[in-house]
This record gives sequence, C-alpha cells and structure tokens, in this order.
Amino acid sequence: MRTKILATTSVVAALVSLVLPLAANAQDPATPAPPASTVVSPPRNLFKPDGGKLLLTAGFSDVEGVGGGGLVPWALITGYGSNQSFGVNGHITDIRLKDFDLQTYGVGIGIADRVELSATRHKLDVTGTALKGVGIEQDIFGVKVKLAGDAIYGQDSWLPQLALGAEFKRHGGIEDAGPLVSPKQLGATDDDGVDIYLSGTKVFLSQSLLVNVTLRHTKANQLGLLGFGGDEDDSASLNFETTVGYMITRKLAVGGEYRDKPDSLGVDDEGAAWDLFAVWAPNRHVSVVAAYLNMGNVLGPATTVDHDQDGTYLSVQFGF
Amino acid sequence: MKTFKHVLVLATLLCAASGAQAEETLFAQIGGAAKLHATIDKLVEVMLADDRINFAFAETDLAKFNGLLYDQICELTGGPCKYTGRTMFESHKKLNSTNAQFNALAEDLYIAFDAVGVPYRVQNKVMALLAPMQPDIVK
Repeated sequence: MRTKILATTSVVAALVSLVLPLAANAQDPATPAPPASTVVSPPRNLFKPDGGKLLLTAGFSDVEGVGGGGLVPWALITGYGSNQSFGVNGHITDIRLKDFDLQTYGVGIGIADRVELSATRHKLDVTGTALKGVGIEQDIFGVKVKLAGDAIYGQDSWLPQLALGAEFKRHGGIEDAGPLVSPKQLGATDDDGVDIYLSGTKVFLSQSLLVNVTLRHTKANQLGLLGFGGDEDDSASLNFETTVGYMITRKLAVGGEYRDKPDSLGVDDEGAAWDLFAVWAPNRHVSVVAAYLNMGNVLGPATTVDHDQDGTYLSVQFGF
Repeated sequence: MKTFKHVLVLATLLCAASGAQAEETLFAQIGGAAKLHATIDKLVEVMLADDRINFAFAETDLAKFNGLLYDQICELTGGPCKYTGRTMFESHKKLNSTNAQFNALAEDLYIAFDAVGVPYRVQNKVMALLAPMQPDIVK
C-alpha cells in the first residue's frame, strides 16, 4: 500500500516536474523552475459555487427579492459566491399586517460578486376592512451591479461599497374585487413601472455595525402593488432608505430599517415604512429574517380604516 | 423631558465607558499574550483541518508561521511585539490567493477566537485591522 502511494506520488512528481518548467519557460525563460513539490492551489471555476464570503455578508433577499435586508436593498451582491464564483439565494417570505397578508417567493443569483439578477412574485391578500377577500399579484425582476468599493475589506477607507440597481415591476392585476381589476381604476397612471436605486453599504467592523443608505427613484405605490404614479402626484420621487444592523455574533444580527415611500394616490395616504429585525445565519445555506414591520397607512381613505398596517415579517432563505 | 434626561445619562455613561476603553490596548482587550498565543495555536489547528486552505500550508514551517502571526497581530493590536517577517505582499505573491481563501482564514480566526473565549466585538476590532490587507494578499 505504502509503496503504491509512493510510486503514485513519484509519478505525479515526475509529471509535474516535466510540465512546470515548460509553463515557467513559456512565461519567462529566465525564471528557474520551481521544485516539483511546490503546492498548487485547486483550479478555479466560475461555475463552481465556492461559498467564498463570510456569514451575514452576502445580502439577504429583501421584500422585493433583491439582496439586502427586509425593506431596503443593499450594495452587497446576494449569495455566498466570491468574485471568482457565483451564489444563489432563494426565499419564502410571509408578512402579516393588521388587514393585509403579503406572501413573496423568489430567487436571486450573484455572479462573480459583481452582478445580481433576481425574480420575485408578490401575492397580497386583503384580510380585513371592506376590501377583505381582494387579491393582488406582482412580479419583480431585479438587476444590480456593484460599482465600487468593498463593504468589508475597505476598513481603512470611508468609501462604502456602491451598487446601482433596477427593479422591473409587472402588475398581475387585482382579483376578486368585482369591477376593480387594475390600479389605474384607483387613480394610478400605470400598472407597471421601474424603480432605480443607488445603494451604499459599509460594515464598520470595529463597531460591529452594518450601515446602508439607499436612494430610490420611483413612482411605485405600496411597492407597486397599487400601480405607479397617481392622481395626486404623477412625478417620480427620490426616496431615502436606510438599514443599520448590529452584529451580535458571527451568525446573528439585529437592527432597524426605514424606507420613505411616495404618496401619489388620492385613495391611499401612503406613509413611510420601518422595521426592527433579527437575522440569523447558522450556515451558508440557511438564513432566517424575522421582523416587526410597520408599512404605515395603507388605503386609509378608501377603506375608512385609519390605523398603521403593522405586523410580522418572517423570511426563510436558502442558498449557497 | 424625562426621556431626555435618560438619554443624557446614557450618553454620559457611554462616553465614560468608551473613554475607559480607549486607554486599554486592543491587545489587552483580547486578553494579552496568553489569550493571543492560545488563539494563534487554535487557529493553526483549525486552519490545517480546513480543506479550503490547508494545502497552502503543506510546506510551511508551522512553528515559525505561528510565531510570526503572533508577532504581527500583537504589534497591530498595540502589544509589546515587533513583526519581523516579510510584508504581506511579499509572502503571498506566489500563492495566487483568492478572496474565498482570504475569507476562509478570517473565518478560521473567528472560530479560534471563539474557542478561547475572546468576545465577538473584540474579534471584529482585530478583523478591522486585518481586512485592509486583502489587496496585498489576494491577486
């Protein structure tokens, strides 16, 4: 057995010593060939997932399926793939507010820690108010490109990781609301629309903090579920969104988020949304985001229900 | 008004706390020489069992590596040491290291710190000093 291993090793060594000088000579004839036993790293393969990021640093799937927190997209590229690989993150999210339930599911892929593509479906059910029983669907396709910086390595720099993204939102119509089938009947200008956002994310390791600021150019009413633009205001607004998270351990973080929203519909006194979240990533394949979520007033004037729509946000995510 | 008073008291306490910490080196926060030695010993053990990176240490003089890494982190964190090894760029230029390998070693260091009981927020302060070495280590 031992002889066999030795024999195999010497054959490999002989082959390596044959090949290596050739490779070295091809690059630089003056360079002496390295010894045959020089350690060589495994070959790299962009198509092989490498799980090359640290826990909690991959970006979770947010409410629109984009790599981020709960309400806010981050500049981090989703999935655990490094710049020489790819990663994937799928999610199922269940949001239960006082009078509305929103189920979302989708998948995001991060390519070379540079580009992120995502597809997510929203399914809203009205569970209270006079509109009880009404359903709304929406599909969101996301594209994000990392522009500059590194949220983690750049600890000696103030430059955050910056990314530019777009969310293409396609309305699936209003169901079980009698003659009401489109957000346009509620005053929206369009059923479909595009959000453009710029995110800056930085991990302040010395403070164990993650800070993200996002500016979103949007006309979306209630994330797009009530269409785009409206009778009150049809111009796109530039909205501020932020996440601050504190990492308690390598696998557990807590924090809060705030997201401004446009207020364009006469039937909807739309306000800002915010949350308080905890995220747990026991390994690179599973993460759980749980939050208290307040979406502000939703369709207050139309439903004559004036309270904030708040409740729970639970997202289970799988990936690599 | 009462809330304001509470905030003021909290702010004063926080300032006092951070002021007290500022006098203590990160080296001391880790727990000094004994804790850092224990951490590096554990790191070497974890790293050699880590298939993502252990091949890179197949020919490393581990005793020397252990000593150099100790000196480097000791000096970085304000301890009484002097790192005498090569620069990070010099020592890694032939290794073709990747981000994934850099992060794997960082993860192993977190695991080692955990094993010897260094608090996570102190671990992160050390990581904050090591993370900017990435451009010199990774091609």
